[in-house]
Amino acid sequence: MTAIAALTGRIIRRTLRDDLPFAILATAGIFGFFNFALRNVIDTGQTNYAQYVLPVIIIQVTFLGALTTVDRAAQDQLSGFGAGIRTLPVPVVVPLIARMLYCLLRGTLALLSALAAGYLFGFRMGGGFFYTVAFVVLVLLFTLALSLGADATGTGAVRFAIVRTGASSQLLLVPQMLLVMLSTGMAPVDSFPDWLHSFVRYQPVSQVTQSLQGFATGHVSVSNLATSLAWCLGLLVVFGALAVRMQSRTE
Amino acid sequence: MIELNGVAKTFDGAIHALQDVTFSVPTGSVCGLLGHNGAGKTTAIKILSTLLRPTSGRAVVAGYDVVRDPDRVRESIGTTGQVTALDWELTGRENLVLFGRLRGMRRKDAHLRADVLIDQFDMEDAADRRVITYSVGMMRRIDIAAALVVSPKVLFLDEPTTGLDPRSRRAVWDTVASLSAQGTTVLLTTQYLEEADALSDSIVVIDHGRVVANGTAEELKRRVRFSYCTVSPVNPADLSRIWAAVADLKDAQCDDESNTVSVPAPDGVVTFAEVFRRVDQIGVELADISLRKPSLDEVFMHLTGNVTT
Repeated sequence: MTAIAALTGRIIRRTLRDDLPFAILATAGIFGFFNFALRNVIDTGQTNYAQYVLPVIIIQVTFLGALTTVDRAAQDQLSGFGAGIRTLPVPVVVPLIARMLYCLLRGTLALLSALAAGYLFGFRMGGGFFYTVAFVVLVLLFTLALSLGADATGTGAVRFAIVRTGASSQLLLVPQMLLVMLSTGMAPVDSFPDWLHSFVRYQPVSQVTQSLQGFATGHVSVSNLATSLAWCLGLLVVFGALAVRMQSRTE
Repeated sequence: MIELNGVAKTFDGAIHALQDVTFSVPTGSVCGLLGHNGAGKTTAIKILSTLLRPTSGRAVVAGYDVVRDPDRVRESIGTTGQVTALDWELTGRENLVLFGRLRGMRRKDAHLRADVLIDQFDMEDAADRRVITYSVGMMRRIDIAAALVVSPKVLFLDEPTTGLDPRSRRAVWDTVASLSAQGTTVLLTTQYLEEADALSDSIVVIDHGRVVANGTAEELKRRVRFSYCTVSPVNPADLSRIWAAVADLKDAQCDDESNTVSVPAPDGVVTFAEVFRRVDQIGVELADISLRKPSLDEVFMHLTGNVTT
């Protein structure tokens, strides 16, 4: 426990001046940008665009947070500090747990920032206490799943040149852009070409944002919720197993 | 106590970093692992500090097998690598506290221990600056301090003085000597014979992944039985002329810095006479010509078969 607390504290200390303020400011900024740029462009029917778009902005920011995790995991693998820890009587998963706790903290701050900015522009959490709790839990579940995936990527990719040049966060840039842009979180499914419909409809970002939109208004369909949870838990198990496996490799 | 028995490490099935390495370091003594870059020193340290698994063979540190009992090994060792284990974004003090906490100390105890180490390593002025602002010497010092947060039974130092100025190097040497006096077993790697000689109770010479010699500095010197004949001119400009006269003798070497030409003298006085005759013929005024014991560097060159300058 002491080791987990010490390592989590270390990450927070390192990120106080860059990543944490960025998480808060970027979240509000990205929401503001999309809201102003697209609210008169995309037709969301009777729902106001702030209400519609905030969930996908939260997901987008979760992805951005995950990208920084790729770097941190790679650094911990490559740096002298990382090697130093591996010669200490500290279980191999402890640095991973510390990075994940940090991701959850970062995710929580970003979520608070998104909600604050959303409220300014007409977003409302209209479903009551339990829907609000469900909203938060789903965001954090998704954050954890993505962060584990990013961590496994960063740790596993250290043998490639891109990580050594410090550009490892670029690795997940393209997949995250595709998933967010081609989702019903950005625009209703009819705005996309026909041949993309089934992908757009069932991919995780669409399903999770739809659940979040549902939690925010107080109406969520069971089949959508089941798909979202299946995506989150499935990714959590797969990425979690990968991340732990990457940690415990010794040449 | 450190024991290696037939340890081998192969990377990617083809690169033999270590082959059949066997040696031991008794408790409380200092062993110098000596070799060129790429000889396998760091691989050996990484295996002993549980960062790499040996491909075959057995390694025991402080009584625990590094493969079967890595956690026990980690509890018993302190390590400093060629790259410092410090977090450069934190201050020296924060690093020491962090390593104390990672070793399971309470926050308060970790702070107290950090204070003691900062005092002991004479780092009061720098302790609250970020490590990234430190000089190489200061980084090494705080790095070694971090390895000593909990007194280790066995300490591994991988090239602890590389890149240090003479004063910082002396400080590291003093630290190693006092640790050894307190009963810590130390294995250090170095490229400098002088360092291995000054610090170590025993020296293991490693080349291309194999142990080529093992013993005290005196024993190693005795392995090169022959003497060297050294010539140095009064006028350094004449050095090249002397060199030209004796260069064809086996393994002769010319060193501008010390203004000498050295020739191995397996036949003792006969070689000496030959060198003297040749130098006399070209009529150079000599400051010195003598027959002497080999230096440790020459022993090293001889043992590793790298007679190049």
